[in-house]
Amino acid sequence: MSGYLELARLHAPVLTLLALLAGAALAFVSPSRRLAWVLGIAASIAAAVFSVDAALRVLVWGDAPIGAVEGLALRADGVSLFGAAALNTAGALVAITAGAFIAEASSRTGPYVMALLLCVVAGWSGALFASDALGVFAGAEIAWLASVAMVALSAERGALNGALRMLIAGGVGAALFLLGAALLWRAIGSTDVFYLSAALIRAPGLAASGVGLMLAGLALKAGAAPLNFWLGAAMGRASGPAVLALGVLGMLGGVFVIVRFAAHAAPAPALGAGVSAVLAALGAASVVIGSVQAVGARNLRRLAAYACVAQCGVALLCAALGSPAGFAAALVQAFATLAAMLALFTGAAIGVGGARSLDALDGMGRRAPLAGVAITASAISLMGAPLTLGFLGRWRLVEAGVGAGWWWAAGAVIVTSLAGVFFGGRLIERLYFRRAVATQEAGAGAWGIAGAPAMISAIAAICLGFAPTLLLRAADAATAFVAGGGP
Amino acid sequence: MVSADPILARLLLAMATTLLLIGVIAAWTSTNLVKRVVGLLFAMLGALVGAAALAAPAALLMLGAGVALGYFLVAAALIVRVQEAYGAVEAAELDSADGVDEPAEPKA
Repeated sequence: MSGYLELARLHAPVLTLLALLAGAALAFVSPSRRLAWVLGIAASIAAAVFSVDAALRVLVWGDAPIGAVEGLALRADGVSLFGAAALNTAGALVAITAGAFIAEASSRTGPYVMALLLCVVAGWSGALFASDALGVFAGAEIAWLASVAMVALSAERGALNGALRMLIAGGVGAALFLLGAALLWRAIGSTDVFYLSAALIRAPGLAASGVGLMLAGLALKAGAAPLNFWLGAAMGRASGPAVLALGVLGMLGGVFVIVRFAAHAAPAPALGAGVSAVLAALGAASVVIGSVQAVGARNLRRLAAYACVAQCGVALLCAALGSPAGFAAALVQAFATLAAMLALFTGAAIGVGGARSLDALDGMGRRAPLAGVAITASAISLMGAPLTLGFLGRWRLVEAGVGAGWWWAAGAVIVTSLAGVFFGGRLIERLYFRRAVATQEAGAGAWGIAGAPAMISAIAAICLGFAPTLLLRAADAATAFVAGGGP
Repeated sequence: MVSADPILARLLLAMATTLLLIGVIAAWTSTNLVKRVVGLLFAMLGALVGAAALAAPAALLMLGAGVALGYFLVAAALIVRVQEAYGAVEAAELDSADGVDEPAEPKA
C-alpha cells in the first residue's frame, strides 16, 4: 500500500492535472448542475491534496524533489510546487463558492461552467509544471480559452463584448509568446525552461528578445498594466464564477508562471538584465496604473480586479530583483494577493451575489456579517496593515529591494499601501457605516457550504500574517530549489 | 529547410514580423469585430511564419497552428453570438448598447 502511495507521490504533477481534467470531462457530461458542482469540488479537492502534499514534502519537510515524468514534458521545481499548491487550493475554494452562482444558472450552462473552471485551474497548473516553453504555451492557452468561454457563458450580453476583447488580447499574447519561443530556440537550441540558466547562448540579443516577448505574452494574460485593457470589460459584466476564475485563478496563475520563468532565466548572464528590466517596467506600471484604476472604480468587481493588478505589480517588482530573496518575496506577495482576492471575491459573492455596484455593499456588515468580515479582512490585507499577509509580502519586497539598492521599490510599496487605504477604507465604510438604500437578493440561492471559502481565505489572510514561519520557509525553499537545483 | 539560406530566412523573418505587427495593429484599432479577428489571425500567421523562418521545432509550429485554429473557432462563435445579441458587430455600437444597459452610478 505504501508503495502505491509513494508511486502516486512521485507522479504528483500528472495526478494533479489528471484529477482536474477527468473532473472537467465528468462535469461536462453531467446531466445536472448540482452533480457537476459536486464533481467539480471533488476533482479540485483531489488536485489540491496532490499538489499541497507534494509542496509540503519537498519544500517544508525536505524530501527528495520530484523528477521529470517519463514521456511527459512535466517537471516540478520549487516555484511550480509552491504556485501549484496555492493555485489548486484556491481552485478548490473557488469551486465551492461557485455553488452560490451555479444554483441560479440554467441547467444547460451550469455543468459547462464547472468544467471550464476546472480547465482554467488545469491549464495554469500545467503551465507551472511544464518543463519546456511548449508546455507553458499549451497550458496558458488552455486556461485562457477556458476563461474566455466562461465569460462568454455569462447571462448578460455585455459579457460577450468583454469575452471578445479577452480573446483578442489573449491571441496577441499567444502570437508574441510563439515568436518569442522560436527566437529562444534559435538562440540557445532548446526551449527547455530548466536549461535556460546554464545554456550556452550563441546570440544574446536574440535570446533576450525571445524571453522579453514570452514575458510580454504571459503578462497580457496575467493582466499586468498597461496590457490590462481587456480587464475592465471582462470583469465588469461577467458572471460570478467567471469573475472568480479570472480574478483569482487567472491573474495569479499568470503571475506564478511569470515568476517561475523569470527564476530560471534570471541567473543566465545574457538574460538576467533584460528579464529584470521587463519585469520592473511591468511591475511599476501595474502598481501605479492598477492603484489609480482601483481608486477610481465604482464597480465592485472592477475595483477588486484593479486592486489585484496593483498587488500583482508588487510581486513582479519582487521578481525583477532577480535574486533568491526577490523571488521568495514574489511568492509571498503572490500568495498574500491570492488570499486577499479570494476573501474579497468570495465574500462579495456570498454577501451581494451578482450585484456589481459598490452601493450593494451598503450596510452589508449587518445584513451578512460573515461575508462582511471576509471583505474587511481582505481590505485590511490589501492596505498592507501590520500583522496581515499583505504586510508580509510588502515587507519582504522592502527588505530585498533595499538590500539590492532598489530604494524606489519602497516607494512603490508606499503607493500601493496608500491606494489600498483609500479603496479598502471605502469598502469598510460602506460595509459598516452606511444604510442599505435598496433590498439586496444576495446569496439567496447559494447551496450549503458555498460560503465557507470566504471565511477560510479571510482567516488565512490574517492568521498567516501572525504566524508566517511555514509560508516563509516554503517560499525560501522554493527559491533555493530553483536556484540550486535541490531543496 | 528555410534556415539553410540565411538571407532568405532573415527576409522571411522580417516579413513575418511585419505581418505580426500589422495584425496586432488591426486587432487593436479596427472598429469592426470581424476585422479585429482577421487582424488577430494575421498576427498569429505572422508568428507562425516567423517561427518557421527561425527553424523552430515542428512541435512548436503544430501547437501554434492548433492554438490559432482554437482562437479562430472561439472568435467565430463569439461573433455569431454578438450579432444575435446586439444586432451589430461594430465596437462603437456594442459599447453604446452596453452603456444603455448599465446606467451611470449615482455619486457616492
